[in-house]
Amino acid sequence: MPAKGARVHSTDDSLVIAGRSFRSRLIGGTGKFDSFATMRDAIDAAGVEIVTVAVRRIDFDRPDEDITASIPERILLLPNTAGCETADEAVRVARLARAGGLPTWIKLEVIPDPRYLLPDPLETLRAAATLVEDGFTVLPYVQPDPVLQKRLEEVGCATVMPLAAPIGSGRGLKLREAIRIMVEQAEVPVVVDAGLGAPSHAAEAMELGADACLVNTAIARAGAPVGMARAVRLAVAAGRAARLAGVMDEHVQAQPSSPVGGVVTKA
Amino acid sequence: MSVHVGLCTVNGRPHDLEPGETVARLLERLEWSGRFALVELNGEPVERDRFGEVGLADGDAVLVARPVAGG
Repeated sequence: MPAKGARVHSTDDSLVIAGRSFRSRLIGGTGKFDSFATMRDAIDAAGVEIVTVAVRRIDFDRPDEDITASIPERILLLPNTAGCETADEAVRVARLARAGGLPTWIKLEVIPDPRYLLPDPLETLRAAATLVEDGFTVLPYVQPDPVLQKRLEEVGCATVMPLAAPIGSGRGLKLREAIRIMVEQAEVPVVVDAGLGAPSHAAEAMELGADACLVNTAIARAGAPVGMARAVRLAVAAGRAARLAGVMDEHVQAQPSSPVGGVVTKA
Repeated sequence: MSVHVGLCTVNGRPHDLEPGETVARLLERLEWSGRFALVELNGEPVERDRFGEVGLADGDAVLVARPVAGG
């Protein structure tokens, strides 16, 4: 179970999740790449230390290539429960993954809604409580809801992962204000997941104070995924540096940058 | 020549069992060579380090999954 205050950063500004440190604040997804070779090169270019994978039945009539052969062993595999519509289904998939030797970390997704792929908060909370009790490190995918965030922290989740916009939509930080409140009161890392379509979106999330971003489609579906992976890596780093440096206050009116007095053409 | 000792299902498909067939032997017969095989036997997960000792019986339902691309 993650200790309270796990969000406190060490001096090297590592991301700490459930007591484990990561240098990168970008988490990668492995979906939607044209090939595993491109995916592997994008993982390298993104500098990620964690990537998500899904779990599916093997079709023994048409066995496909093993994705894990294209993911360096130093990368933490984060299995997800995508495709699960109830807490019970998600718990089953998590236990299956763990028994088969995948890490005990689980990206918990309970999604009954096929159109917008929005997670079910009640079933997510129920599954999270069960899985934490069962020894999993649970990273739940949620709608940005600061009250749900507190409930998930209380049952021992290692992070909360609010969506910026629907999965794969690329629409950016549409739910910004709720995410801002989550950041303000977070006791475990806030990982903005889903909907980030461009490096600027990821930078904005990090400037807002997110601890990390999870990006998949924006990289995999870019014109040049490896180049975009590098761009998103730089954006996350830039947004984080800006957050630490402190972004200036906004003003409605202009504030001159040059001295007001002593203008040459005025007496 | 194989001796028919029973029939299980693997991901819903019928599978003729050999005498003493274990989960590990099943995966071998199905020529699975991936780094991970995630196995359920009759709805219960099977720990990877027990694949060699868990035997299969007539009527068993085996589910075998693996990690795939996903976000």
